[in-house]
Amino acid sequence: MSPVMWRSLEDLADDPRLVETVSREFPLYADEMLAPSRRDFLRLMGASVALAGMTACRRWPTEHIVPFAHMPEGYVPGSALQFASSFDVSGAGRGVLVTSFDGRPVKIEGNPLHPASLGATDPTTQAAVLELYDPDRSVGLLERGASAEGASRRWSEFAKAMEPVLAAHRASGGTGLRVLAEPSSSPTQVALRARFAAAFPKASWVEWDPLTRDAEREGLRLAFSRPVRRHLDLGRADVVASFDCDLLFDDPQSIAHARAWAQSRRGAGGTMIRLWSVETTLSLTGGAADHRIAVKSGLVPVALGRLAERLKRAGVPLPSEVDRFGSHAFDDPRLDRMAADLLAARGRAVVAVGPAHPAAAHALAAAINAGLSSGAVRYTDVPDPDRPPHAKAVLTLAHEIEDGAVETLVLLGGNPAYDAPRELDLETKLKRVRRTIRLGLYDDETSLSCTWHLPRAHALEAWGDTRAWDGTVGIAQPLIEPLYDGKSAIELIAFLIEGRFVHGYDLVAATHGESGWRRAVHDGVVEGSGLPGVVPALDPGWPASLGALADLRTDGHELTFIRSASLLDGRFANLGWLVELPDPVTKLTWDNALLVSPEDAKALKIEANGTVVRVVANGKELSIPAYVLPGQAAGAFTASLGWGRTRAGRVGTGVGTDAYALRFAGTPWRVEAKIAITSDHVRLATTQDHQLVDALGKREARIRGEELVRTGTLSTFRHDPAFAKEMVHVPEPAPLWDPPVPYDGHKWGMAIDLTACTGCHVCTIACQAENNIPVVGKDEVLRGREMHWIRVDRYFDGTPEEPSLAFQPMACHHCENAPCEPVCPVAATVHDHEGLNVMVYNRCIGTRYCANNCPYKVRRFNYFNNHKHRTAIEAMVFNPEVTVRARGVMEKCTYCVQRISVAKIAAKNAARAIADGEIVPACAQACPTQAIVFGDLNDSGSRVRALHDDARAYGVLEEINTRPRTRYLARLKNPAGGGSQA
Amino acid sequence: MSQSDPPPHSFPKWVDDLRPLAAALLLGAPIVLVALVWYGGSPATTDVGYAPVQPVPYSHALHAGELGIDCRYCHTNVETSAHAAVPPTETCMNCHTNIRGASPKLRPVRESYASGMPVPWVRVHDLPDYVYFNHSAHVRRGVGCVECHGRIDKMEVVYQAKELSMGWCLDCHRNPDVHLRPPELATQMDWRPPEGRNKTDVGREVRKRLGLSPSEDCSTCHR
Repeated sequence: MSPVMWRSLEDLADDPRLVETVSREFPLYADEMLAPSRRDFLRLMGASVALAGMTACRRWPTEHIVPFAHMPEGYVPGSALQFASSFDVSGAGRGVLVTSFDGRPVKIEGNPLHPASLGATDPTTQAAVLELYDPDRSVGLLERGASAEGASRRWSEFAKAMEPVLAAHRASGGTGLRVLAEPSSSPTQVALRARFAAAFPKASWVEWDPLTRDAEREGLRLAFSRPVRRHLDLGRADVVASFDCDLLFDDPQSIAHARAWAQSRRGAGGTMIRLWSVETTLSLTGGAADHRIAVKSGLVPVALGRLAERLKRAGVPLPSEVDRFGSHAFDDPRLDRMAADLLAARGRAVVAVGPAHPAAAHALAAAINAGLSSGAVRYTDVPDPDRPPHAKAVLTLAHEIEDGAVETLVLLGGNPAYDAPRELDLETKLKRVRRTIRLGLYDDETSLSCTWHLPRAHALEAWGDTRAWDGTVGIAQPLIEPLYDGKSAIELIAFLIEGRFVHGYDLVAATHGESGWRRAVHDGVVEGSGLPGVVPALDPGWPASLGALADLRTDGHELTFIRSASLLDGRFANLGWLVELPDPVTKLTWDNALLVSPEDAKALKIEANGTVVRVVANGKELSIPAYVLPGQAAGAFTASLGWGRTRAGRVGTGVGTDAYALRFAGTPWRVEAKIAITSDHVRLATTQDHQLVDALGKREARIRGEELVRTGTLSTFRHDPAFAKEMVHVPEPAPLWDPPVPYDGHKWGMAIDLTACTGCHVCTIACQAENNIPVVGKDEVLRGREMHWIRVDRYFDGTPEEPSLAFQPMACHHCENAPCEPVCPVAATVHDHEGLNVMVYNRCIGTRYCANNCPYKVRRFNYFNNHKHRTAIEAMVFNPEVTVRARGVMEKCTYCVQRISVAKIAAKNAARAIADGEIVPACAQACPTQAIVFGDLNDSGSRVRALHDDARAYGVLEEINTRPRTRYLARLKNPAGGGSQA
Repeated sequence: MSQSDPPPHSFPKWVDDLRPLAAALLLGAPIVLVALVWYGGSPATTDVGYAPVQPVPYSHALHAGELGIDCRYCHTNVETSAHAAVPPTETCMNCHTNIRGASPKLRPVRESYASGMPVPWVRVHDLPDYVYFNHSAHVRRGVGCVECHGRIDKMEVVYQAKELSMGWCLDCHRNPDVHLRPPELATQMDWRPPEGRNKTDVGREVRKRLGLSPSEDCSTCHR
């Protein structure tokens, strides 16, 4: 059976509301000026003409040129420089290269030398520059007494106020002194912590991470009776079984995983990795899986046990305790095949369990991997073996506050008042501590409850260091002086120890020493600093923990929590790029929602997305709009954390619903809940059904779904490599008049491999950062006016109950016969001699005919002057190589023409040819799987030429003779047993 | 109403004599208006000759002309980057620590050197923000400084000598030979073709030697 592609449940059901919406190219409000009277019309015209005339009366504003007084050596004004740095996210380092113009960081790329980056990034990393220039960042120190506003203070005043406090703590050995920190991998911070412990032996240091991966850590400690860290090398795997583990997206090593996965998937000649996924909510890993089993979160460990029981029967050495799973009520026949598949790939098979499942499940997975003698798993020591689990640590702290044992509490980053277990009510508890000192980027929920708020230096403003998941040390160097006099966490810790401020550079340099320092700063990584591998032996006592796992039951409705794909734990809530970035799976912007399975939606009578439901869990209540998601396990309801912030800033405050409200320490990921429908309704801004053209187009899209995202199995492909090409007959029409342009110089083109695309959406946001694309807001998104130049179309493939996901990044195709061009009355969109479909902003008069005539629907119109009200600081984020568009102008993907120009001029100045791979558009550069390739089609040795000639290559809508320059490579799946899907 | 009576409240008889004049005015007005806008609004009128007062009365005529300092002594990046770049204060002080170190005209320069704050020069050659001009791409291909900036070496106060409009750019891109010279002579203000040869021939030679084909694509300058 050939797959049927559909975009959403509304699409599948032909919802009349959707038909009405899509029947208008520019939905809503586009025709509000329909009937002005003749007099109004003349009045408006007269005013416009008069105003237009006045603009010609003066030269444009005077501009100043302000050269350095003393110019740094080697500095070239107006040219981009790249510096290596690294960011720490939830205690794992990511290497980056930061592009800086005239001392102004404007773009983040991955650092190819860094093992967790490999030259690519994830979506949140791209937004770091927006965070740096966020006008809502805290601008100075605040001392909060009785009033919530607080009094503005200087660092010197803070130091003076702390002098007696620190002296007293030093005298008492740190009694009553506590530090609550967000996780950090910084070796400098580790060194400072040791000094802190020596200076204040009775003080304690607590770490809290709402998205903690402690279950895995505890599980491995259980299995091996020592703390170790698990590392996966998907390059050494043929079969991967993921149990609710989002390897390809939500993992400290997600980029390395995705790279290795894609490498294996696209090498269609050899063995292709097969991915099994058992999960509750459709994730990117589940969407990419060849087989997916949807089960409630409480049953995921049971499914793992059921698998273990089967493997044991087949002779895999596993303890007899796994037999207890045999009597569990849950089973799924597809696990037979999974077991057979894993067994067949012994040595190259691996099982992974996600962070939301109990420690025992992780121990079991470790035992299975050992039993399968998996070569894709290795272990290392952990850098912080003595750290207590996050949940336990924060509970202890809360009790100490209750007992009045805490006199001074220092909070380093994080946002515990918002994201700590809600029953602890840290927000109120913080107010009971005599002295609370908060170092934070924003004056947020936590700072409001603290006596001191100190501005934190952004990662791009301060010296630092990080350790990647594999242990590789990265150096973080500042790209700009702190904009608001902020200090970094290590600087504050050093102050607590020494009573004076030490510059971050001295602290970091002291950790790493002289030798190799300059090299490490230049490269961004310290060579050979990865954690050494260990070969731990299974502890004979571990199977005792399986009893509780085998007794897991889940009867009623369960509520599960997941991280927000874009806001992480909520820290990025004020970054418009991320808030407006569609969720990869639901395509929701500006909101989170309770994800409901189609079966439950029917049972609860949820008729439309956005119906508000009331969720009761842990004795608390939450109203949240529902979103029906195909592939959601029946009986399971999922809410993403990180939304509904109350003090995020002008973008993020009050956006979405705060799911932390129902999250308690004992049930961090899953809780029994009661769900009831209410009569309220919220409009959810999902972009999935945008750009559907009209009812006719929508019908066509349904018919053509499988022609747009051509999908086949590995066996189809082996049988007929050109199956994708043959799906549609492409006539070769004779040209009617002009001979086609020869394009004998460069001939730019792009290839996108749908087999490699995981749908992470980093291309969308990398493009936004590179090309000065505005954020438009929820109202505008609801009208279909989002501005993203490259969107990622999501299709479901299969039935609503058992879908897989197909993604198709869609940007301007630079058609050689571009339908947009002949309809432009002012020739504002024309071709250049290298085949770029050029958009000339200064000619555009905004008729929007081009967007109307574009079959791919990739043109975006500026309905407003989106960049008008920018403060000087906000405007610093703009890429100076790209025009900032004003109102009334059409825009679209340019293939990053600015990067092409820079490379062309540089090559010509050096009298050499442009090398293949020298020009990389922003989307391709950020892509973890290198699914996007750009280059010169006239260069017979170029990668893009080879991909265009690949058997899997096809053009979307090629049959209408647009001659697109972007071609896709068909999506291949690799189900067990060849083609017939179970 | 009888035919002989003039209608009440009508125009007096002599108005009829003005009718040809009125017609001429009505027909002529649009032409005058268009001519006025055409001429008055063209960059040749609005921009050419723009000579703002600079914070330091720096004379190119003295430095580049009389003293014969090469353009690249100060505009160091002109051959390598998009911007020619106005030099840092240090460059001025290379000489002016010793020469005329006490001149009152140089006070802003000395102050800048001492304080580290820049001298706020006023930009003369200012293209719209949606135009991306690259100096290195032109200077390295044999377009002399003088082609766009005029005889800077004779300017006491720098002014805009050419239109710098899109049509003006395209004139040269369409017909480059007359504006090209051997690239190594780009900064020579008074360059003339060797005896017995004309500019076009020399330019054609340069174009062929360097393989130049100036682009008329929008994407060359607009991004």
